[in-house]
Amino acid sequence: MTADSGCYLAVGAALFVLGGIGFVTRRNLILIFLSVELMLHGVSLTLLTFGRMHNNLEGQSFTIFMLTVAACEAALGLSLVLSLYQRTKSLDVDIWSKLSEPDLPKWDKPVQPLESRVVREEHPASPRLTKAGGLPEIDDDFPVELATTTDPRKVLTPSPPDDDY
Amino acid sequence: MSDSAVQGMLYGSLAAGAVGMWLATSPRTGALRVLGSFLASAGLIAAVAMFSGPGGDVTNKILFWMFAASALLSGVLMVTSREPVYAALWFALATLGTCGLFMMQAAPFLAAATIIVYAGAIIVTFLFVIMLAQQQGRSFYDYRARTPIMSIVASWLMLAALLWNFQVWQKSAPAPETGPALTAEAAANPFSQPSELNKVDSLRALGLSLFGDYLYAVEIAGTLLLVAGIGAIAIAPRRAEGTI
Repeated sequence: MTADSGCYLAVGAALFVLGGIGFVTRRNLILIFLSVELMLHGVSLTLLTFGRMHNNLEGQSFTIFMLTVAACEAALGLSLVLSLYQRTKSLDVDIWSKLSEPDLPKWDKPVQPLESRVVREEHPASPRLTKAGGLPEIDDDFPVELATTTDPRKVLTPSPPDDDY
Repeated sequence: MSDSAVQGMLYGSLAAGAVGMWLATSPRTGALRVLGSFLASAGLIAAVAMFSGPGGDVTNKILFWMFAASALLSGVLMVTSREPVYAALWFALATLGTCGLFMMQAAPFLAAATIIVYAGAIIVTFLFVIMLAQQQGRSFYDYRARTPIMSIVASWLMLAALLWNFQVWQKSAPAPETGPALTAEAAANPFSQPSELNKVDSLRALGLSLFGDYLYAVEIAGTLLLVAGIGAIAIAPRRAEGTI
């Protein structure tokens, strides 16, 4: 209605951006969904403010439809999360990163404490056995370097991360 | 204040908010992360304060700042909290703050509906899923944010662009209490003309709009809810025979 709508628009933009940060940075499937709901709040506030500026009801009607779609999305998303959880017993979204295209660059840094525990050794001059087959598949979440020595005192196997890191 | 001073303060408070957000998402000690959360929300609130505040009397202003501050502070804490249950509860608080702002934007029905749907139904469902799935409490993936710096830089650039646009728009808008804050051609649009049937704050007008202009859309939305309910039941995992 009047020029005092700017502060409402600013709050809506800030809520949207906060939800976007949560969507990108959280690794828990449920919290990713919650961040999307926070983004929807920001958009609802913006729609309402625009509707009031134009002095009509389209913004409120759109927000009611957004509420409906958000309820549908929450129901479907939570049932998907539950069935994904049943398969892996974990809510970590990185487990499902293999669904992405394999040649895309990875932005996530590798886990530092795990990698520093792996013993790095120079390769011996040349292997005596002929190569057979390709490299084995290595899980990115737990980087395990193939041991290049057979001395048991020099082989360290990294343990999977536990709760205190 | 001059325009350049207002803009400088806006960008300064946004920078402080970005630093706070970076502190809050980084793997540091608890006190530093709490400090970062408060710094981030203070920066955001200061950025909002650079705009001309809500019109009306003192009560209006106090209510606006209370609702906006609670929404932004609980939004920041929701994004940075390491406990999923706390994050869900902070989200409920953010919903309450946003609904207060809805109420001040002449949408009391929407405020009530949003509180019922979000704080009443969706949050409870989320909490149930968290209870079902994460009975052991925090796990290691709640401790490490993914690419915090890049996401904060990108999001804050977007926020700065949006706020800059709003400021430019606000300069061209007329002052409060002097008429519609629209450009001339938008005010000449017949949809923007006030009438008895589209008084924004009446529930009767909203009902007429929903079940008059958007009747088919309402029916489709009802069908969508039914389909989503059936789909959720179909997707949700069934328990094996003889287990609880």
